[in-house]
Amino acid sequence: MFTLVVGGAASGKSEYAEGLVLASPHRPRYYIATMEPFDEEGKARVEKHRRMRADKEFETVECYFNLPSVRLPRRGTVLLECIGNLAANELYSPNGAGSMAGALSAITGGVDVLLAQCADLVVVSNEVFTGGTDYADGTEDYLRLVAGVNRALAQRADRVCEVVCGLPRYYKEAAG
Amino acid sequence: MIFITGPLYSGKKEYACRLLGCSREELGAHALWDVQERAKNCADLPALADELARHEVVIATEVGGGVVPVDPDERAAREAAGRLSCLLAQKAERVVRVLCGLPMVLK
Repeated sequence: MFTLVVGGAASGKSEYAEGLVLASPHRPRYYIATMEPFDEEGKARVEKHRRMRADKEFETVECYFNLPSVRLPRRGTVLLECIGNLAANELYSPNGAGSMAGALSAITGGVDVLLAQCADLVVVSNEVFTGGTDYADGTEDYLRLVAGVNRALAQRADRVCEVVCGLPRYYKEAAG
Repeated sequence: MIFITGPLYSGKKEYACRLLGCSREELGAHALWDVQERAKNCADLPALADELARHEVVIATEVGGGVVPVDPDERAAREAAGRLSCLLAQKAERVVRVLCGLPMVLK
């Protein structure tokens, strides 16, 4: 089962997504971490989240870019969080794909690779598309990329929901 | 009139084509899109909504979700865009929000 969870900042999307993973019978639980820690604050944040997830028996797999390279030892449940980070890394990091097309295929192809290696997949993405277009140069590319990834993943997914105030609204539900 | 709304790049026009059974090239004959831009500097929003409602399909992008713009003109345009969408939704027989390419009927 592949579930795509989208939502705005602090909408409760992460907690909801984590709940879906905890409800899955398929173990182990893998967390694909996408935020590259650049400073002490970032490192402390990553460490705190890693400890929180260790209590819930998640194994953390770090992947800041090139998602298709991820290899999981066993078929369990995967939580990928989040597309917004991966998109920024692929577009702007020196080690990323660099181009829009390269970033799109790295991320959507990477999700396909994860799907082939797990029983249940939950992907968290960002809803950042209702604030108009009055942004700095380059932001438009980022928005188009995240939107393109969201639409491509929504097509592949069995279920798609938007989380608002911690509550999921399903735009697509698994048949049966 | 069917009113289609949703975030930027969410697949609204593609959904309208599926709904109408037409290609992207033919869409202009049946639908108007980016109508939120027509709200800017519009003196009479209800009249504009009346005029737009004569079309088969009207599409607007949601633009009210970010921080209030510092620029007064941008602020007024965003306000007008939101009000226009409310008027269109009132007039529509059906209102659909498209997210990640997936439609949800709101009315």
